[in-house]
Amino acid sequence: MSEPLRHPLRRIVIAGGGTAGWMAAAALSRLCANGTTRVTLVESEEIGTVGVGEATIPPIKTFNAMLGIDEDAFLAATQGTFKLGIAFEGWHREGESYLHPFGAYGADIEGVKFHQIWLKLRAMGIPVPLADFNMAEVAARMGRFDRPTGDPRSALSQLDYAFHFDAGLYAAFLRRHAEARGVERLEGRIGQVLLHGETGFIEALRLEDGRLIDGDLFIDCTGFRALLIEGALGSGFEDWSHWLPCDRAVAVPCARAGGAAGPILPYTRSTARAAGWQWRIPLQHRTGNGMVYCSRYWSDDEASGTLLANLDAEPTGEPRLLRFTTGMRKQPWVKNCVALGLASGFMEPLESTSIHLVQIGISKLLALLPDRSFPAHERAEYNRLTAIQWAQIRDFLILHYKQNARGDAAFWQECAAMPVPETLERKIALFAGTGRLFRYDDELFTDANWTAVMTGQGIIPQAHDPLADALDGAALRDMTARMADAFRRTARAMPFHADFIARHCAA
Amino acid sequence: MAAFGSGAFGALPRSGPAERVAISGGGLCGWLAACLLARHLPHLRIVVHPASADEETRPDRSLGVPLAAEVLLPGDLEHIAAAGLRGGDLIRHCRGSFMLGTALTGWRAAGGPAFVPFGEIGAPLGPVPFHQIVAAARARGHDVNMANYALGALCAQTGRFAPPRSDDASVLSTLSFGLAVESDALRRLLRDDALAHGVQHGEAVADPASLCAAADLVIDARGAPEAWSENGGEQGGEDWSALMPFDRALVAKRAEPGTPPPPPPPYAHLSALAEGWQGFVPLAGAMTETLVFAAAAPPAEVTGALPEAHRLAPGRSAAAWQGAIVRMGAAAQQHDPVAGLQLHLALADVVRLIALFPANADCAVEAAEYNRQWRERSDCAFDYTVLRLARNGAKGAVWDRLRAAALPHRTAYRHDLYAANGRIALHDGEVFETPGWVMQFEALGIRPRRPDALAMTVPDMAITAHFEAIRKAMLAGVAKLPPHGAVLAEVCA
Repeated sequence: MSEPLRHPLRRIVIAGGGTAGWMAAAALSRLCANGTTRVTLVESEEIGTVGVGEATIPPIKTFNAMLGIDEDAFLAATQGTFKLGIAFEGWHREGESYLHPFGAYGADIEGVKFHQIWLKLRAMGIPVPLADFNMAEVAARMGRFDRPTGDPRSALSQLDYAFHFDAGLYAAFLRRHAEARGVERLEGRIGQVLLHGETGFIEALRLEDGRLIDGDLFIDCTGFRALLIEGALGSGFEDWSHWLPCDRAVAVPCARAGGAAGPILPYTRSTARAAGWQWRIPLQHRTGNGMVYCSRYWSDDEASGTLLANLDAEPTGEPRLLRFTTGMRKQPWVKNCVALGLASGFMEPLESTSIHLVQIGISKLLALLPDRSFPAHERAEYNRLTAIQWAQIRDFLILHYKQNARGDAAFWQECAAMPVPETLERKIALFAGTGRLFRYDDELFTDANWTAVMTGQGIIPQAHDPLADALDGAALRDMTARMADAFRRTARAMPFHADFIARHCAA
Repeated sequence: MAAFGSGAFGALPRSGPAERVAISGGGLCGWLAACLLARHLPHLRIVVHPASADEETRPDRSLGVPLAAEVLLPGDLEHIAAAGLRGGDLIRHCRGSFMLGTALTGWRAAGGPAFVPFGEIGAPLGPVPFHQIVAAARARGHDVNMANYALGALCAQTGRFAPPRSDDASVLSTLSFGLAVESDALRRLLRDDALAHGVQHGEAVADPASLCAAADLVIDARGAPEAWSENGGEQGGEDWSALMPFDRALVAKRAEPGTPPPPPPPYAHLSALAEGWQGFVPLAGAMTETLVFAAAAPPAEVTGALPEAHRLAPGRSAAAWQGAIVRMGAAAQQHDPVAGLQLHLALADVVRLIALFPANADCAVEAAEYNRQWRERSDCAFDYTVLRLARNGAKGAVWDRLRAAALPHRTAYRHDLYAANGRIALHDGEVFETPGWVMQFEALGIRPRRPDALAMTVPDMAITAHFEAIRKAMLAGVAKLPPHGAVLAEVCA
C-alpha cells in the first residue's frame, strides 16, 4: 500500500541566489501551492554572482514554457537576443571557421540520414557544403531571424533557436516570478551549516547574524564555494582537467558595435587563441566578451591583453577574472542536499551548457522529489542520470579540443595528443569510418550537433554508409539542389535579426 | 575483438566493401536477415545455406522456441515497412491479426486480470507523468484502473480496431499496435521475397565457420546452442536458468471452429499456472498455444506429451559478432518467451547489422559497436522478462522460489526504484519505454509505495477533471472504430 503524505517536505531551503538559485526557486515555487511546502531562498547582496554564461541552447524554451513565461516579455526584460548557433573560428586550423547551428541538416531520404547523402554526393564529385542544408545556419549567415512555423512542409519548421541574455537580469526576472508565487527571500550571509549528530543530514543554516534557517531539503547554489555539498557534506570532486585543461576565464563587456542602430548577429562566436578561446555574445544593449584559457600556457595579463585587443568596440567595464577546475561533484545529491549550478561542478561555456545543466538538474529533482524519509532510491537515480548527462557534454567539449590541426601553439598540440575517454574515442572512430552516429541515453546532442562539430573539426568520413548506395545519384543531386534552394529562399524572406527584435521584444 | 576478415575464423584479409554474405540456417531468422539485407543493400550477394539437409522438416528454432505465432511490436512494423514490405501482405499471407497488447491472468496476487497495452497511457498533466497522477489519486483513496486510460486496452475490450489514418488528428492517432503472424507463413513470405530480390539457395552446411572462405560476412542463424556456458558452451557465455528456470515448451495451433470462424481478439493472453505459464496468440481463423514449464516438475496434464516438448535453454553468448561471423536471433541469446520478444530481438539484430554494415574489410569498429548495442538490448529484454517471472504474485512453489531469488543489480534497481516512487529507470537499448514498464508493474501487482511529490500538488478536482476528459475523448474515439474482424476481412478481400 502507498504511504502518502506521511512526510511531505515542509521547507526547501535554497542557499544562494544567482541564476541557479532563482531558476530553482522559480521551478519549485509550484510546490508552494500544496499548502505544506515552503520554499525559502537565502542570498546576500554582498556576494557577487558569476552569471553562468549568457548564451543558451534550445531546451531553455522548455524550461521557460514550464514556468509559463512569455518569450517576448522575457527577452525584453533581459536585453535578450536570439541565437541560431555558434561560429567556431580557427578551432580546426587558423583561418578556418565553421558554424555549429541548431536544428537538423536537410531531410533524410528513404531512411538514409541526410549527412550520408551529403557524403555520397561528395564521393560522386559534387562537393555541396553541408552548411547550405541547415535552416538556422543559412539564416545566421545572412544575419536574419524568424520564429519557426509548425507547418512541417515549410523549410522554416526546421529552424531551432535559443537565446543570448544578461544572466543577472534573467535571475531578477525569475525572482519576480518566484516571489509572486510564494517563494520567500531572506537577505543574509551563510555562516555555518548545521548537521544532525547521527544522520549527518543538514538540519539548518546559521546566518552570520545568528538567524537559524531550518529545512528538510537544501539546494546548494552557493557557486564555486559549494558550502553545503562540499564544505559540509564532502561530496568529493571528479577532476576532468586532464581532458579540458583550461582553468581560468576573464570577462569584459563592450558596447554594441555600430551603436543602437548596429546589426545584431544571431549567433555566438568562439575564436580559438594561442592558449584558449574567446567568446562574443551579442545582447541588445552591449556585447559580452571573455577569454577561457589555460594558466599553464598563459598568464592572466596575456589573456586579458589578448581579449582587450580583440573587441568589436570599446570595453564598458573592467575585466573580471575567474578561476575554475573542470569536473563535477562525485555525488551532486548527498543526504538531503542537492547541488545546482557551479556548486555541482563546472564545464566551460564552449557549447553554452551551463544554464542547461542547472535546468536538467531541476527537472530531475522535480521528477524525483523526495519526502522527509529521503529514500536512497531517488538519490541514486538522480546521481546516476546526472553522471551520464555530464559525461555526454564533457565528451562533446573534448571533441573540439582533441580534433584540432593547429600546429601553431604548444597548448593546441598538447590537446591534439591527449588520450580521450573511451566513449568519445568510439564515437570518433565510428564517424571517421562511415559517418555513423548513435545517440545514447537520450543525450542532449543530436546527430546534427555531432555532425557539425566532427566535420567542422576536420573529420570527413572515409566512406558513406552502404545504405546510401541504393539511392540514385542523379536524383539525389537534383533533390538536394532543390532543398538548398528552399532554405536559401526561406532565409531571404526573414527579417534582419535586429529588426525582428525591435518589432517584438525590444528592451 | 579480431578485425573482420582476419579473425579467428580463418578468412583471408581483403579490401573493398563486404559484398558476399553467407547465412547459415534457413529458418525464420535466416530468411528475415536475407530479405531485409537484400532490400536495403541491393549490392550484396547473399546465399542462404540450410544447417542440415532435412532442415525443412525440423522445428524452426532460429528464434528460440518454435512458436506457432510470433508478434511484431509497434516499432517492428516500422522496420518492416521501411524495408518496403507491406503490412497488408503480412496479414493476407500470415493469417495476421492486429495486436494491441497482452491480457495477463494470475500474475498478481489480488485484483484479477490485467491488460498490458502497447502505446501511451492517459496523458501527462503539465510536467507530471500520467502514472504519477494515478498514484496520487490512489493515495487519496480513489480506485483507479490504469488500463481504462489506455486506448489499446479500450479497443481490446470492445474488439474494435482499425489502424489510424495518417490524417487523423483525434486521440486515435496515438493508437499503437503490433501484429501477430503465423511463424512458418512469415518464414515462407520472407524467403520468397528474398529470392525475388536476388538471394540464392546454397547447399546445406553444418558449420558456419566453413562458409568464411567464400564469404565476407557470415550470419549464424541456426538457433540456440546446446549450452551457453560450461559443458560445451563458449567462454564468457551466460546461463540464465537460475532466473528463467523453465526448460520445456509445448506448442500447438488449432483452427477456430465455425464458418466463417469468429474474428480473432486483438490481443494475446498469458496465464500463470502453478508449474509455469500458458500463452495464447490469436491468428485469423486459428488460435496458437504455448505451454512453458520445467521438465523436472511438469503440469500433471502434460506428462504424456513430454517427449514432444521443445527444449528451452535461456542464456546468451559472450559477443554476437566475432571475427567474420555474426550470430543472430537465438544463436546469440535465448530468453524465456514470456514477454513475447523472440521475433522482436531477431529483427533488432538484422536492423542493427544493416545500420552498421561494414563499408570495408576492416570492421572491428562496427563489430564492437554492434556487440555493445546488442548487449544493451539484451540486458533490457532480460530485465523485462525476469521481472515478469520473478517479481509477480503468481501462486505456486516455482514462483515462490523465483521471488526469493536475488536479482542482478540493474534488474533489482529498476524494480526497487519503481516500487519506491513510481519512477522508471530507462537505459539505452530499451524494448519498452516508460508506459510499457509501468503497465507491466501494474499487471504484476507492484505499485509505488509513495506518490510523486509533484503529483500531490495537483488538486483532487483537477485530477478528476483530467481523468474524465481523457476517458471521454478515448471512448468517443473508440466508438468510431469498426470491429477488428471487419478490418481484417477488408484487408484480405
